[in-house]
Amino acid sequence: MSLGLEKLASCFQGIIPAMLYTCAKDGTPNAAYLSHVDYVDPTHVALSFQFFNKSRRNIAENPRAVVHLGDPDTAQGWALRLTYERSETSGPIFDRMFWRIEAIASYTGLKGIFKLLAADIYKVESVEPVPEEDGQPDRSAPPLRARPPDPVFTMKALQDLSMQINTADSLEHLLDSIVVGLKRHFNFSHSMIALAGEKPDTLVMIASRGYEQSGAGAEVQFGEGIIGLVAEAKKPIRISGLMRGMLNAYAAKRRAEEKGWCSAERRVPLPGLENPSSQLGVPLMVRGELIGVLCIESETPYRFHEEDKTSIELLGSYLAVAIQNMQLQQDEDQPEPPSQAGPLTSATTGLRATRRELAFYRQEEVVMLDGEYLIRSLPARILWKLLQVREQEGRAEFTNRELRLDKSLNLPDFKDNLETRLLLLRRRLDEKAGDIRLVPRGRGRFALEVTGDLELVERD
Amino acid sequence: MIDVNLAEFLHSGLGIHLGTADENKEPSGCRVTAVKVEGDGRHMVAFIPRAASQRVFDNLRSNGRTAVSFARPADDRAVQVKGLMLFSWQAKPDEEAFAQSQWAGFLGQLDGIGLPGAATSSWRVFPSMAVRIKVTAVFNQTPGPDAGAPLK
Repeated sequence: MSLGLEKLASCFQGIIPAMLYTCAKDGTPNAAYLSHVDYVDPTHVALSFQFFNKSRRNIAENPRAVVHLGDPDTAQGWALRLTYERSETSGPIFDRMFWRIEAIASYTGLKGIFKLLAADIYKVESVEPVPEEDGQPDRSAPPLRARPPDPVFTMKALQDLSMQINTADSLEHLLDSIVVGLKRHFNFSHSMIALAGEKPDTLVMIASRGYEQSGAGAEVQFGEGIIGLVAEAKKPIRISGLMRGMLNAYAAKRRAEEKGWCSAERRVPLPGLENPSSQLGVPLMVRGELIGVLCIESETPYRFHEEDKTSIELLGSYLAVAIQNMQLQQDEDQPEPPSQAGPLTSATTGLRATRRELAFYRQEEVVMLDGEYLIRSLPARILWKLLQVREQEGRAEFTNRELRLDKSLNLPDFKDNLETRLLLLRRRLDEKAGDIRLVPRGRGRFALEVTGDLELVERD
Repeated sequence: MIDVNLAEFLHSGLGIHLGTADENKEPSGCRVTAVKVEGDGRHMVAFIPRAASQRVFDNLRSNGRTAVSFARPADDRAVQVKGLMLFSWQAKPDEEAFAQSQWAGFLGQLDGIGLPGAATSSWRVFPSMAVRIKVTAVFNQTPGPDAGAPLK
């Protein structure tokens, strides 16, 4: 006979904390909150094992337990009567729980402390409603979470987004059309795309929508936050009850700090929403190669359903191919060099005409603008090259090709991702230096527009 | 055993659950809407829904051992009080009012973390049974490395 466990999918999102009841061999009961309960199959669930606590000791003595779960849609409580079977420290069930907990640990600076030791697998003997937690909300009561439009990923919406993407004629338009399309066709208001960075195991934010700051140029290390974890795992990660998990982790962090097990350093700054409740990160993979990560966030708990993850994973594969094709296409473009030196553009746009200092720090490969960080690595070298040419030759128009041929820039021979770096540079300039701009002039060609005077300084 | 500061915390409108077990060591549990710690710090009264599972009441009668878990939704500070049930009765009107007031505090805390407490209005947490418990031990239960350590 079916237990009906499949119908409790909403209960496994961690929005309402689960309560685990166990009993020691001397008959003393124990009641404790549990951070994660996951669905395994129609007759099994997995419980997170993170600390050697009383519940775990009781289970070693007496394998019987009861876990109470809450349905965030209906407020109905469910009691699952369980018998412990085994612990898993690898495999898909462990991985799913592990990466979710890693994401929470990453945000709270608790990596290595707030971690999954094992996924404990229990046989579900029975499923019964918790009688005092009756789930028939009266009509005036608000739901525990806003039900997402159902279904989010319609074929029509996918088709519309696909058409929008297909009309993009540059990497910039492609990336923008993705984040705009996610809002227009799927109503995802907050999304961002990070592409593989120049340094190993890093990603660089390149496009976003729905945030006060674009975050363009922000580096994300593999393993940091959901974006870095998706890159590290090369697997999609969906987090629904993020706030509950974070509260739980912060409580553990305070205890760990008191014990001197970890420092009280600030948490890793999270690019994106200050208090995300749901996140979905999808690796953008082409033939096994990670080219970037798409992350969608929401302040609504349980915004992304299982079917959303599956659909957006497919969408991620499509986007990955589209992005890589555009990168390769633009890399292959060979425009004619400018017929004549482009005019030096200065003080023509009505923006402020002040003198600004641009300093290039050779060893760190960083450009500072009026003493503030602007950009680093290859985009910094490119900017410095452009500024020098402008100053020495009076030229303001450039081609991608001449940058590729310039050995001083030290571009890789294969897959230099030049277009991506130029786009990143353009966005950083737009955000941090509105009077210094890179303006596209057709495929593979652009101009450096400057309003006001520049003072170029090189330092070690 | 429960000092004034801890009693104040336990009275502050927390998420409270009662764990019990039968003679075969089969656990069961239910929500608790409120507790009242007595002045000696060695006894407390827990208010549990009369609608709770019959197993819970049977266990209280047969085994009598209790584990009452308290957690503050805003920061997951948590405590567990172990004890033995002495006796129970149907809550009187003034006790019911006390329990409802503490429960309202808990719902307010849920609102504070984005879980609308009002959505639980269909729960049948009242009327209550009052259960007097002799406290035998108190443990820290805040998630982390020393969860489960006796509280001094």
